[in-house]
Amino acid sequence: MSALQIRNLQHKYALTEVLSNINLDLAAGETLALVGPSGCGKSTLLHIIAGLLTPSEAVIKNDFRGTACMFQEPRLLPWKTAEDNITLGLKALHVPKQACRQQAQNIAKTLGLTADDLNKYPHELSGGMQSRIALGRALIIKPDLLLLDEPFSALDIGLKLELYRLLRQHITERGSSVLMITHDLMEAVRLADRIVMMIPEPGRLIGEFTLQQSHAERSETWIYQTTAKLMANDRIRIGFGLAEGSLNLTEHLHTQHSGCSI
Amino acid sequence: MNRLRNLLPNTLSYLWSGWGALASLLLFCAVWELVGEYYGDLILPGPLEVIGQLKLMFNSGIAGPELIISGRRTLYGLFLALAVGSLLGMLAGFSMTTSMLARPLITLLLGMPPIAWLVLAMLWFGLGDATPVFTVFIACLPIVFAGAMQGTRTLDNHLKAVAQVYRLPWHMRLTDIYLPHLASYLFPAWITALGTSWKVVVMAELLSTSDGVGAALAVSRAQLDTSTTLAWVVAVLGVLLATEYLLLEPIKRHLERWRVGVSQ
Repeated sequence: MSALQIRNLQHKYALTEVLSNINLDLAAGETLALVGPSGCGKSTLLHIIAGLLTPSEAVIKNDFRGTACMFQEPRLLPWKTAEDNITLGLKALHVPKQACRQQAQNIAKTLGLTADDLNKYPHELSGGMQSRIALGRALIIKPDLLLLDEPFSALDIGLKLELYRLLRQHITERGSSVLMITHDLMEAVRLADRIVMMIPEPGRLIGEFTLQQSHAERSETWIYQTTAKLMANDRIRIGFGLAEGSLNLTEHLHTQHSGCSI
Repeated sequence: MNRLRNLLPNTLSYLWSGWGALASLLLFCAVWELVGEYYGDLILPGPLEVIGQLKLMFNSGIAGPELIISGRRTLYGLFLALAVGSLLGMLAGFSMTTSMLARPLITLLLGMPPIAWLVLAMLWFGLGDATPVFTVFIACLPIVFAGAMQGTRTLDNHLKAVAQVYRLPWHMRLTDIYLPHLASYLFPAWITALGTSWKVVVMAELLSTSDGVGAALAVSRAQLDTSTTLAWVVAVLGVLLATEYLLLEPIKRHLERWRVGVSQ
């Protein structure tokens, strides 16, 4: 039973069709990665799911209750301290101030932020710290669905791995579903249960890969090998423009996920 | 606690930055004195004589009541303009259509000379308090309106998306997203409006009332009393400087403490 069901989604900016015939399911507790080259409409699709855009045409059934989103940039409110930024979503849910503060301090500990950092304004913090705060702001409301719009793409590898670990820990504890978009296949292999490939002009889903290895058993070697296998896949090569050729799109038109397993 | 700890150094650094302003004012007085000595007391009395005259006016109880009358009229007109202008400007800024409709009207209102409004106000309201209050209001309104509209229009769409995703209720969108951003547009507009309001009130009083600083200036002009005239001007400028640097600027610094390098 999927908690998010999208059928026949089309979207146009003026006369340009940016998304065409998108059918997508996301089950409760599942992590789905949408991969594709820049400009293929991944962000537009995510914004539609987040409710920031209204699609031109679609049937969307969304059973998730709390949704949080992390954007490409941290997007912190510059006039609020780190603590007030983290608790923004809680404040919107009318959680009392003292409880907000307590929860912010708890989450700050797991994110490696000190009490001093919590009193600082965003401009006083490094980019990495700002990303942690953005992650804290998303996780603190304990969302059922977490939408990630390439939030880690600008971070260094050490920080990326640390934030991946925090994210996985949260997903395991809470059983949240995650829909992440990325153009980094290795990030997708590291975090996702299922990878869906998207191509541009207009944005379409062209293939799906299920990763059956449990997250606990994913070693670095396995991640590298799986990424290499995926990189050798025709759909991915053609989709990213690494190889010439045309794709047979009829395979993905039905809604069940029957893609190749890895 | 952390904020309290920052308060003292911030206040001291603000007061210290006052030396620069003071030096610039004293330099101006020196030039004034120089020109005054060249032209003589009848044309341009020096700063010391003008300040002496002002002291005399305060001691004899002339200056205080007139300044209070003018101040009251300024405040009424200014507050009305700040409230109405900020609110309407924000509302106009929320929609592209109203912004486009409002823009030529702002240009029109900003271009209209206050003296023209004054003549109209005298015809409409007669020679009472309402005339200077209305003239101040109508002269300051477009300045504040334009600032508020510009501020609302320029809010980063990324932050609006954050507000939408985290389902901020309308009052939180206002207090946590719009107003803090708006403040950096509103404050400069308010300070300009404050300056305009005093200029306009003195002009309005000069032509339309029998009390207030403007009316007193009319009397000193009739008596060819340059030092009293300048004393009134100094008094008005003093009030203006005090309001800006002792009231508005500290509030602005407090509200914008999140900005990079705001305390410098």
